Amino acid sequence: MPSEPLIQLRDVHLAFADNPVLRGIDLDVHKGQAVSIIGPSGSGKSTILRCLTGLLRPQLGSIRIGQTQVDQLRGEAELIALRKQVGFVFQQYNLFPHLSVLENLLIAPTKVLGRNRNEAREQALALLDKVRLGHKAAAFPGELSGGQQQRVAIARALAMRPELILFDEVTSALDPEMVGEVLAVIRELTEEGMTCVLVTHEMRFAEEISDQVYFTEHGRIVEHGSAAQIFGDPVHERTRTFLQHALGQGGQRPSRPAPDVYRNLGRYSLSV
Amino acid sequence: MSELLHVLVGQLARLGLNYSFLLESHASGKLLDGALTTLWLCLWSIVGSLLVGVLLAAAVTSARRWLQWPARAFIEVTRNTPTLVQLYCAFLVLNMLINQSLGNANPMTPFAWVVLVISLHKGAFHAEALRAGIEAVPAVTLEAASSLAFSRRQQLFQVQLPLAVRFALPALVNNLIDLVKMTAVASAIAVNDITYASIMIWTQGDNVIELMILILAFYGLLSFAVNCAGRAVEARLRMPGYGN
Repeated sequence: MPSEPLIQLRDVHLAFADNPVLRGIDLDVHKGQAVSIIGPSGSGKSTILRCLTGLLRPQLGSIRIGQTQVDQLRGEAELIALRKQVGFVFQQYNLFPHLSVLENLLIAPTKVLGRNRNEAREQALALLDKVRLGHKAAAFPGELSGGQQQRVAIARALAMRPELILFDEVTSALDPEMVGEVLAVIRELTEEGMTCVLVTHEMRFAEEISDQVYFTEHGRIVEHGSAAQIFGDPVHERTRTFLQHALGQGGQRPSRPAPDVYRNLGRYSLSV
Repeated sequence: MSELLHVLVGQLARLGLNYSFLLESHASGKLLDGALTTLWLCLWSIVGSLLVGVLLAAAVTSARRWLQWPARAFIEVTRNTPTLVQLYCAFLVLNMLINQSLGNANPMTPFAWVVLVISLHKGAFHAEALRAGIEAVPAVTLEAASSLAFSRRQQLFQVQLPLAVRFALPALVNNLIDLVKMTAVASAIAVNDITYASIMIWTQGDNVIELMILILAFYGLLSFAVNCAGRAVEARLRMPGYGN
């Protein structure tokens, strides 16, 4: 029997005004696991991550990370304590454009954690080497490619020595050639045992690195299981069709209609 | 130095411009005094207006209604009325009221009134420039800061303000150049700035054109210096790869 999960979501509900985005999310992440959340756009994937780091507050349900009951945090100080434990990497990198790459990595550890500057500097340089950007320490974010900026953003999150890192569609803004270099960094982290929760559209990658995969649609978890089970033998029809579209034919546009379109031709009408 | 001045005055005389008053100690002393007064006016009101601007911008972008509304009202009233009229109101009305209640203990000199009025007036313009900068900082950048456990205060001072100032800088420098020229209103309440000094000299002589040229050149140079300083700050704060 596995130990107590590091992250536990139970029946989490969240609505923006009248628009329900999460409608009862249950999710467990154990320490050292890599968990992917997949699903169509607008299904609430990113919202789950934002709830985890307290950027959004659910109206109902419980979120626990370690000993912290996230949904009950009151006041800035408690949120800050949580965010020291939880790293977050954004789709749009969101580096600080007025600071050099090195300063981007130093600012939080020195100003927020009060770490010694020289020590933080050594760690930051080591992290930049780790994401293969040691030679860019003095550059500014605006001078880097998207893939490089995203790797800096990952290093910036790691500089806080978080217990877990949340990745929010971190490759969605990148061109295909740069996706690989970012995924390589994340793969390394998961191999080292960093707890990672990823929202991703990179199905092959999710299949390869995830211990658990959650498939969401319309604010609900449709199904979850091991990567092998979800990708190899999904239970739900909806998961199956989504994965077919996501993985299908290497992402190419089908050159002819799927077979069942022919079979059901009578159901389509043609107006001229 | 004085020999050089002699040569210069001689050369200009050939062009039909009579700058001989520069060689008299009375007139030249008065002008020099005026030039210094203008410099001090500029310096104090630049500092004052920037302070007022930051405070007003903070108030007007604050989430607190009771801060937001008075600041907004102040900005609208201030920038929609002429500086000269404001100065007259301040000096002729407020100053008189203070005089009546405090008598000789009134700490406000005419010089101080000019600095105060210009600081408040230009501060309103700075506040709008800074507001544009503050609102141009992407929300996601602040989200990134808060996800790195920055407090509200740290977000403001480490991320929001540094970026806002960079975005607002060209508009701020623009305001400051305007401020330099605006200090000429001091002459309206007999503060001995360079404009007032010139008027005093030309009412006693026949050198209006010469003095006009002189003070235009002086204001031009002063504005240019502010412009250069602004450009230098812009260059220093430039974010490589961002914009140009």
